[in-house]
Amino acid sequence: MTPVEWAIVALALLGAFFGGVAAIGIVRLPDIYTRAHAASKSDTLGAVLTIGAVAFALQSDLSTVKSIFLIVFMFITNPTAAHAIARAAADQDIEPWTKEDDS
Amino acid sequence: MSADEQPGLYVESTIIMTTVRAVAPFVLTFALFIMFHGADTPGGGFQGGVIAGSVVMMLAFAFGIEAARQWVDVRVVSALASGGVLVFAGVGLGAMALGGQFLQYNVYEPYYYEASKYGIELVELGIGGIVASVAIGLFFLLAAGFGHVTDGEGEP
Repeated sequence: MTPVEWAIVALALLGAFFGGVAAIGIVRLPDIYTRAHAASKSDTLGAVLTIGAVAFALQSDLSTVKSIFLIVFMFITNPTAAHAIARAAADQDIEPWTKEDDS
Repeated sequence: MSADEQPGLYVESTIIMTTVRAVAPFVLTFALFIMFHGADTPGGGFQGGVIAGSVVMMLAFAFGIEAARQWVDVRVVSALASGGVLVFAGVGLGAMALGGQFLQYNVYEPYYYEASKYGIELVELGIGGIVASVAIGLFFLLAAGFGHVTDGEGEP
């Protein structure tokens, strides 16, 4: 395998790992704030790494440029969406989960 | 276009406003891209129209739904919807008037040599206008259903 192929495999595996972490976090974490935390950070990184693998795998110029645009906008919009969700939850007076009311 | 005239209702977030300001032109460009490339790539009027309508929803999320409601002119939205219907029906029925089938673009070709190509694009733009305006209207109607929206005068 060439180094580019190794990079593709490594990026795809890392992206799948972070996507899996995000999925586990969304299912397992207790309340909306921690779930938004999992969805914003881990999911963004997983998606971006996977699209990075796609950008390496598509050797044509235009598709690679499109993938890089996708990465940029994913980095901008995904955390903003999570921020908006958490902010709306705070506006609705949803209490953050704490260790005391562990149920 | 600030939400200051409605104290306590909605406080703008600098993060969301900045992101929307940066992203909105690209989203609108992408919507037009999807609409114009509907004939030969995945996409088309419906998808591009939804993306174009989502620009207004993004602005509403960033600047407050009431502020966006006052900013969006109802007449423009209705004109976009009915104008899209007119374009679609005009192109389709015009082909029938020239002796072809409904939406048979090549009967226009004696008048304009690339009529098949641009006829499809025109119809896609019409569909996009319909879908965008209907999505915007549905969004504002749904948003008006919440209890904390106090004044909704002058709205459909």
